[in-house]
Amino acid sequence: MNLSRRKFLHTSAAMSAAAAAGGLSLPGMARAADATTIQYGGSAWLGHYPAYLAMKSGALSAAGIDQQWQSFGTSSARMSAVLSGGIDIACTGIVSALALMARGSKHFSIVAVPESFGKVEGLFVRDGVNSLQDLKGKKLGVTFASSAHLLVLDLLGSAGLSNDVTVLNVPAPEIPGAIQSGQIDAAAAWTPQFNRIRAMSGMKLLADDTQFSLYKKYNVTPGPDVLIVRNAWAEKNGEAVRKYLKVYFDACQTLRDKPDEAARSLIPLTGMSALDQIETIKGADWYNLAQQTQLLKSPGNYADGLQRLAEMLVTYKQIDKAPAVRQWVNTSYL
Amino acid sequence: MNHRQPSRATLLGVGFASVIVFLLAWEAACRTGIVDALFLPPPSAVAEKIVAMMADGTLLANVLASTRRVMTGFIAATVVAIPLGIVLGTSSYARAAFDPILSFLRPLPSMSWIPLSLLWFGISETQKYSIVFMGTFAPALVYVIEATRNVDPLLIRAARNLGASRWQVMREVILPASLPQILSGLKIILGLSWTCVISAELVAAREGLGFLIMNGKEFFQTEVVVLGMVMISVTVLVTDIVFRAIERKVLGWQA
Repeated sequence: MNLSRRKFLHTSAAMSAAAAAGGLSLPGMARAADATTIQYGGSAWLGHYPAYLAMKSGALSAAGIDQQWQSFGTSSARMSAVLSGGIDIACTGIVSALALMARGSKHFSIVAVPESFGKVEGLFVRDGVNSLQDLKGKKLGVTFASSAHLLVLDLLGSAGLSNDVTVLNVPAPEIPGAIQSGQIDAAAAWTPQFNRIRAMSGMKLLADDTQFSLYKKYNVTPGPDVLIVRNAWAEKNGEAVRKYLKVYFDACQTLRDKPDEAARSLIPLTGMSALDQIETIKGADWYNLAQQTQLLKSPGNYADGLQRLAEMLVTYKQIDKAPAVRQWVNTSYL
Repeated sequence: MNHRQPSRATLLGVGFASVIVFLLAWEAACRTGIVDALFLPPPSAVAEKIVAMMADGTLLANVLASTRRVMTGFIAATVVAIPLGIVLGTSSYARAAFDPILSFLRPLPSMSWIPLSLLWFGISETQKYSIVFMGTFAPALVYVIEATRNVDPLLIRAARNLGASRWQVMREVILPASLPQILSGLKIILGLSWTCVISAELVAAREGLGFLIMNGKEFFQTEVVVLGMVMISVTVLVTDIVFRAIERKVLGWQA
């Protein structure tokens, strides 16, 4: 069922009118009685756009899914909530998921890949710094344990500068302020901080995720997003997961084909300007449902890339051992 | 009925045995799967990690980094709070002037100073010292004021009658008389400064027990998280013993 946003809005309006006519005038009571409630772990990061868009357009409600949006500051906090049973479905940076896999957690499965976002995460430097070598002796701010951190470790390692640059742990929201006040000389960040730093005068983008060593061969960025489900919940609600994925990838299609329209719905979530919002949407390659089986196939280029990424995390002492990623992939809901 | 007091050795034995039983029960709960090791690692895994990190020197480096931050912030807060507290404790005018500011500062948690401290001191060690300082200064000041106000007024009056100046009264009478209570308060503040250092190490830290815990949390390395917690307790225990020794030395006249 490929409904357009307009159709969904019409459907929602008709359902609301019917509910009101039936005396169900309270907003909470307008939901279908048999709707499956899904606790979703989100944030303003672009990986969550499809879930947010599907919720705001009314497409999820129309499919009988009541998505409860729960915000998290970091992927690790979100994954902790998955472990404790508070979140059923979430988009997460793979680094957190790999860290949990390395600990042997069987609480979740990877069911889809929403996008590839090579162009909205990267390393910014001040004008005058023209290469990684120019960063020698300088301070670089990045949020530790993030995909941007892995990008920095990879770039500095490849340039032989691992011990020559002071890499500081700065929480993502503090990075623009830290670079503006001169406390750090360079910064690695992702959207929306990426957009804020790029808008500053005297700053330039030295490298983005497309310079990551695994990108060219595997199309894998330092911290690709994956959509995960909590196994205990998904096993009981398999049909809801299937419906969810269908609506989810309809939203991905809207993001890909109608970025202007999608941007209007996303601005309340991200607080970006309309132009930045559109550009951020266009900065990612939004996958479709048909691509998922190929992406997650093992052996396969992308899945192999994820495995290499896990091994790279071991090399950089981020995790103790590389998990066999394919054991956490479940394509049965597609 | 004849109740015999247990000996010190017996009490120590009971304490030791309770710790062993607790650790064994914890280990057994993890090994039998009653507790998922992902949620709570067994003590053996924590011990293994401690040994590994001691061997490569990272544990000592992290302990020393946090201890340095705690002691610098704590000593700075003490150095300012003791004289200021004595002045505020003895002068009702000064107290009236400072009380509103103190009432504003006292409830602020150390975390709330992070954004401002970043702007004031940047990403530096001074910023971390300042977090510990700001988190401990107001409570330390309150302890000193209270201790000063509890000094027997007869002692002060007697000193005045014998011709002591205001400065002499403060130094020779009020400070020694209030010192036991001030030191008791500072012992509590020292414990508080360890909670502050965890906040301080949330931002721009590359070492320290707070950093260790936060980084362990990011990668779900719960044995590192527990290790960090254990090390904080051990370090507080050690500093407490050192503090008691200083207390005995400084307050020897009280014995």
